[in-house]
Order: sequence, then structure tokens, then C-alpha cells
Amino acid sequence: MKFFERSQSKAKAKNASVANIACTEDTVKSALSNVIDPDLQRDIVSLGFITDIKIDGPKVEVTVELTTPACPVKDLLKKQCEEQIISIPGIKEALVHMSSRTRGAEVKPANIQKSLGGVKNIIAVASGKGGVGKSTTAVNLAFSLAQSGSKVGILDADVYGPSLIQMTKVGNPEETTNGMNVPPTIDNIKMISIAMFNDKSKATILRGPMAAQIIKQFLSQVYWGDLDYLIIDYPPGTGDIQLTISQLAPVTAAVIVTTPQEVALADVRKAISMFDTLKVPVLGVIETMSYFICDSCETKHNLYGNGGAEKISDQFGVPVLAHIPIEPKLAECSDKGTPIVNHEKNNSAAIAYQKAGGECARFLSMLHLKSSEALTQFSLQWR
Amino acid sequence: MDRYLGIKNIDQADSRTLKIVWTDDVESLFDVVELRRMCPCASCVDEWTKQRTINPSAIQDSVRPISVDSVGQYALQINYNDNHKTGIYTYKYLRELSLSAQNPNKQ
Ligand SMILES: Nc1ncnc2c1ncn2[C@@H]1O[C@H](COP(=O)(O)OP(=O)(O)OP(=O)(O)O)[C@@H](O)[C@H]1O
Ligand SMILES: [Mg+2]
Ligand SMILES: [Zn+2]
Repeated sequence: MKFFERSQSKAKAKNASVANIACTEDTVKSALSNVIDPDLQRDIVSLGFITDIKIDGPKVEVTVELTTPACPVKDLLKKQCEEQIISIPGIKEALVHMSSRTRGAEVKPANIQKSLGGVKNIIAVASGKGGVGKSTTAVNLAFSLAQSGSKVGILDADVYGPSLIQMTKVGNPEETTNGMNVPPTIDNIKMISIAMFNDKSKATILRGPMAAQIIKQFLSQVYWGDLDYLIIDYPPGTGDIQLTISQLAPVTAAVIVTTPQEVALADVRKAISMFDTLKVPVLGVIETMSYFICDSCETKHNLYGNGGAEKISDQFGVPVLAHIPIEPKLAECSDKGTPIVNHEKNNSAAIAYQKAGGECARFLSMLHLKSSEALTQFSLQWR
Repeated sequence: MDRYLGIKNIDQADSRTLKIVWTDDVESLFDVVELRRMCPCASCVDEWTKQRTINPSAIQDSVRPISVDSVGQYALQINYNDNHKTGIYTYKYLRELSLSAQNPNKQ
């Protein structure tokens, strides 16, 4: 509020000294520099978010380019921009357009340039052990990001139990003349499963070099095109296969899925250490089957004790992105191929997954900003 | 968001002071002996009760780091010359420590 007052008086002072001075781009910028992005904690002008300013008499039109279409504070920022513009003396009308350009790593290794060159962020959805709700999370995260307008893909890389086809009823890829596979889509979300590259009649578990070979193939021979987010459903655990995928795909960040039980936490630690070793930042932890909303009293019940994910957060300094309640309908939705975020928007699990998607997008934006300034690695020898 | 803070610069200020400049331009100074006494590792703190299991006064004033290394994007590990190197200090924890040092009344 203090800043707000200062800029207003500055603008007024200018106005008083030179009568009827026209509002310039600088006036608009100085007013908008009072709007702070709450996540990046910096004003939207110095963040370079203002891409266009048009001044037409008493009317000002600006375009604000956010770092993700999934920005949870989009409406708030829009309102603040309008208020700031209206506060400029002589301005009666403010038109604020919100757009977005997802920031991401642009450079990819040559062997996957054709395949993944247009993908801005690759998010690994991983877990220390199986059956924790990882695939359910990967699919619902993808749908939630897509709902807010992002271009999204899902890569089901779980060699032990690929489940994407069953969970979404997606069709088969099309092969183009140059040997690249074009992913089939559901609701504009591009989908590829390792199962599409495996002879389904042989229901064998893929192992070792065979699995690595197939992973290599589907990472380099799928034409993903332009994507804001590619979600990879990892095989559970922290073995060779997980390392192979992380070495082949330039993963931007990882999300770790866990359940609240104490025994699960040791596995989460292993998963976080694995990504540390690989120098892949961990965005945060999603705790599934966290609590259960009782039909009769509508309060939360914790079945497994409280604060498992919070303990991880304390020890590793990574945020808890969301707590997903126990929701029997999730299993039903997975069987029918209807992700809950898309088909039961008011369900508490769907709301929790929407929040998780927004948090992922938000933390990724922060990560890109931070990584431009922070030391990624250091070793200080004490003298 | 403090969890997404990074380290811009890290250096030794004097023989027992570690200096960190954070990505939000805040500067923190840490007494390395105090840091050793506040070690958050599982052999110094009970993981579930959060009780400190070593007596801070048992740690000599003469203790010094050998090296300070980054761990992932969120923490650093200090290898001390008393053979203790299991302490992983998250940035979050370090910021809390530096805040409590600045406002001793707030603990
Ligand atoms: N929040 C939840 N509440 C209730 N059931 C859930 C929840 N999340 C997932 N499930 C169910 O738990 C089972 C395991 O979920 P999912 O397949 O997503 O886990 P996973 O970690 O991918 O397992 P896998 O290791 O087998 O790949 C499924 O039947 C799913 O429908
Ligand atoms: Mg799965
Ligand atoms: Zn210790």
C-alpha cells in the first residue's frame, strides 16, 4: 500500500508541474510496477511480463504475459493491474489482457531434438514404491494443467505396469513416413505409453537392456511437437530403469508421490536422493490417500496419522504440493477412463488435484527464475 | 516463497563464520561452531520427537568444517573435522536459524 501511495503522488506531482501532460508508456509502467507477483516476489514490470502498452486518450490497454497459463493468481494480478492503471490521473478506462508464455529449457540434446525439442518442461512423477497412486496423480495432473490452457503430454514409462491406456482408453500412435510416431490424444492431451511399443500379446515384464532399448526408442521416436508440460509416469522405485529414463530424457523437475505411512517415508528419501544425484530439482511431494472425508459428518479423518509429507518437507526443504484424499471414485474413474479432474470437477480429490497442478506450474516458474541466479552446485573448502 | 530460495554466493567470512547471500539478496552469517551444535542429522536429533540427542556443550569451540558442499537444490552438507559429516542443512532450516539469531527474543 505504501508503494501504491508513493507512485500515485509521484504521478500527481508530474501532472501538477506540467499541465495536461500526456500519459506515457513510462507512466503506465511505473504504475504497474506496484503489482507484485506473489510467487516470484518481484514486480511484474521488472519481471518483463508487460509485453504491450497502448494508450488512447483516457484509455489504456496492456498485455501481461505470465509464466504459465496455469497461474493460480491470474485473476488477482489482472484486478491489481486494472486498479493501478485507473489510478493514473486522467485515465478512465483500463483494458488488461492476460496471456502466457511458459518458460522452460530450450536446448535439448541432438538425439532427441526432433522428438522433445518443442517441450518446455518435462516433469517426472516418481515414487519410492509402487501402488501409492502415482499413475492416478500423473494423469490427473496432466488434465488439470491442460484445463488451465497449457499444452500437455503424458508419457507412461512405467515398464513394470503401464496403465495409461487403461486409465484413459487412448488409441494408438500413428507412424509417419520418417519413422516418427505421432501420439494419439484425449482432450488435446498427447499420450504415449510404453505399452504401445511392446507386443501386448506377450504380457512379459520388461527388464534390463530390453526395457532401456524400448525407452530409448519411445523417447527419440515420438513427435511431441510444442508442449508446455510433458508428464512422465515413472516406474516406481529408484533402480537402473529410473536412472536410464532420467539420463535419456532431459527432466526439468520431479514430483514425488507418497502415502502418509511412516514406512513409505524411507522410500521417499531414496527417491529424492536419486534426483539429487541426477541434479534434477524436486518440485515437491504429493501425498495421496492422505485423509478421508466421512459421508455422515463431512470432516477429515486421517487413517495413517498426520504429517508424513510434512516431515519430508522439513527434512528436505521441498514443499508439499497437495494432499489428495482417499476417494473410492478414483478407482472407478480409472477403470472407466474418465480422469476425476475432468469428470467430477467438484469432487474433493479433483479439487486437490487441480490445486496440485497449479502448484506444480507455480513452482516450475519459480524454479526457472531462481535457477537464473542461484548456484546450482558448490563445494567450499574451509581454510 | 522461502522454499524456493537459492544461494547466490557462499563463502568463508572469517575463521569461524560462514557467509551466505541468498537469491533474495538477504545476507546471513553463521557461526560454524553453533551450526555444528544445531546439526539436524538423525544422530543428533530424534527424527520423530525432534529432541536433540546430543549435548551442545559436548561440542568443542575448536570444531571447524573441512568442506561445505551443495546437496541437490535445497540444502548443503557440512563435513566437520570432528568426524561428523551427516548434517544436511536445508536452506529452509538455515534461514530459520539466521532469523532466530537476528531476533533472539522471538527464539
Ligand atoms: N486418492 C486415492 N483414493 C483412493 N484410491 C486411490 C487413490 N489414488 C489412487 N487410488 C487407487 O489406488 C490404486 C493404485 O493407484 P495407481 O495405479 O495410481 O498407483 P501407482 O503408484 O501408479 O501404482 P503402480 O505402482 O502399480 O503403478 C488404484 O486402484 C487407484 O485407483
Ligand atoms: Mg502406475
Ligand atoms: Zn549431526
